[in-house]
Amino acid sequence: MYGKTVRRRRALLLVLVVISLVLLTAYFGESAGGGLHSVQRGFLTVISPIQDGANAALKPVRGVFSFFGEVLHSNSRVAQLRREVDRLRRERIAEQEKMRADRELVGIRSLERKVGPGAYRGVVTNVDAQSANLWYSTVDIEAGSSEGVAINDPVVNGEGLVGKVTQVAPDGAQVSLITDSTVGVSARLSGSGAVGLIQPKVGDPEDLLMQYLPTNLNIVPGDLVVTSGTVSGEGESLFPPGIPVGTVSSVAEESPKSVNVRPAAELHNLNVVKVLTVAPGSRVQRVSNAIAKMPPGRQTGAAAGTGVAQVGGGG
Amino acid sequence: MSSSSSQGALALRIAAVAVVVVFLQIGVVAEVPIFGVSVELTPLLAAFVGLLCGSVAGAAAGFCIGLLVDLCLVQTLGINSLLFTLIGFWAGRLQELRDPQGALIPVIVGAAAAATAFVGYSVIEFLLGVDAPVSFELLRQIVLGIVVDTVVALPFWMIVRRALQGGLPKDPRRRRRARRSYSTGGLSPISRRA
Repeated sequence: MYGKTVRRRRALLLVLVVISLVLLTAYFGESAGGGLHSVQRGFLTVISPIQDGANAALKPVRGVFSFFGEVLHSNSRVAQLRREVDRLRRERIAEQEKMRADRELVGIRSLERKVGPGAYRGVVTNVDAQSANLWYSTVDIEAGSSEGVAINDPVVNGEGLVGKVTQVAPDGAQVSLITDSTVGVSARLSGSGAVGLIQPKVGDPEDLLMQYLPTNLNIVPGDLVVTSGTVSGEGESLFPPGIPVGTVSSVAEESPKSVNVRPAAELHNLNVVKVLTVAPGSRVQRVSNAIAKMPPGRQTGAAAGTGVAQVGGGG
Repeated sequence: MSSSSSQGALALRIAAVAVVVVFLQIGVVAEVPIFGVSVELTPLLAAFVGLLCGSVAGAAAGFCIGLLVDLCLVQTLGINSLLFTLIGFWAGRLQELRDPQGALIPVIVGAAAAATAFVGYSVIEFLLGVDAPVSFELLRQIVLGIVVDTVVALPFWMIVRRALQGGLPKDPRRRRRARRSYSTGGLSPISRRA
């Protein structure tokens, strides 16, 4: 009795496995129009209405399960959407940065057309980093001595004068902004032509002070201040003449006369700048070197047409 | 009630449960993913039929459930039939040889059935020539599928047992009660017969 049961069980298993394997082999071996495929299609045709009915009947159940499933997945979905929003925000910021950099490049070209670089060549570069405190305002740029950047080279952007190069490495340089306490710029009031010295106001980096102006001048707020193309002391940079430095914001009633100047360049928001370099051995460089070696207080001049104007600054 | 009629009633119950479960699987469960995978009730059903009704019923039910799934889902005929036959037979033999009574037995059996179904299906598909590299995504799906099936095994076992209970030749709960009363001082089957 027991042996018969065992034999029957084993036989059934063998039969079912063999049928499965035969079905598998036959189905896999035949074409899409074969017998088993036809049987499957026929079964599907018969069962489709039942399946449709069952699906319709089970739709509410499916909806309930889906609801709970969506609730369970809502956290991960929210996190995914947040990542997507962050990515889009980054892309938008990058796009805006690119547009602003393009505008700055256009501004630099426009300034070149208006001022004329003369003997200067330009190296357009990106700003790497910006560090500022009350005493020092510097930015790091990507261009260095390998691209011809040298110490004391003037740096401009599309709005006006930015500063000068104070440290140079082969693949980078540091620019001290005109708001840095170590930088002085000989400048001229574009209306009267009077020359003075622009220096930062310590503690107020967004305001410059133009000093040593004649007392009898009629200066009004809004007057444009541009570089004079002269230097007033050792180590000062020889900025080409005519680069906008800023506009007069207020006039102090004291003698010698001084005025407050708001910088033309937005110095807290620099992305692209242009370093005005001179070719080694050129006339401008020779003049610059001579100026740099002169003792403080001496007035210096160089020939016009090389980008360096006659001196008029005091100090 | 004669033995053949009771067997027929049991077969009808199993068939009804199988049809309902297959339709539920296709219509509802497959469309509700949990952790990115859907629960596979059909291998669990084959295993639980074997665990409740024995190896012969388990193998036969497994074959029919697998064939129904292959037909409804327009898959390669025979794959699920083969796997579910083996699952149902193995679960039935476990019941016949060991008669495990632990509360976690359905969970363990469910996990083993799911593992056999998932891994076996993948292996057969690859043997049949699916030209795709094995990726971690497939492994992740298999592991998650086994975990999810293991989680639902116990409640599904209760449902299946309740559905088939009336037609079972030997009610496991009744048998367990009898064994407990015998071991705690009740009459042994021999003494009762006497």
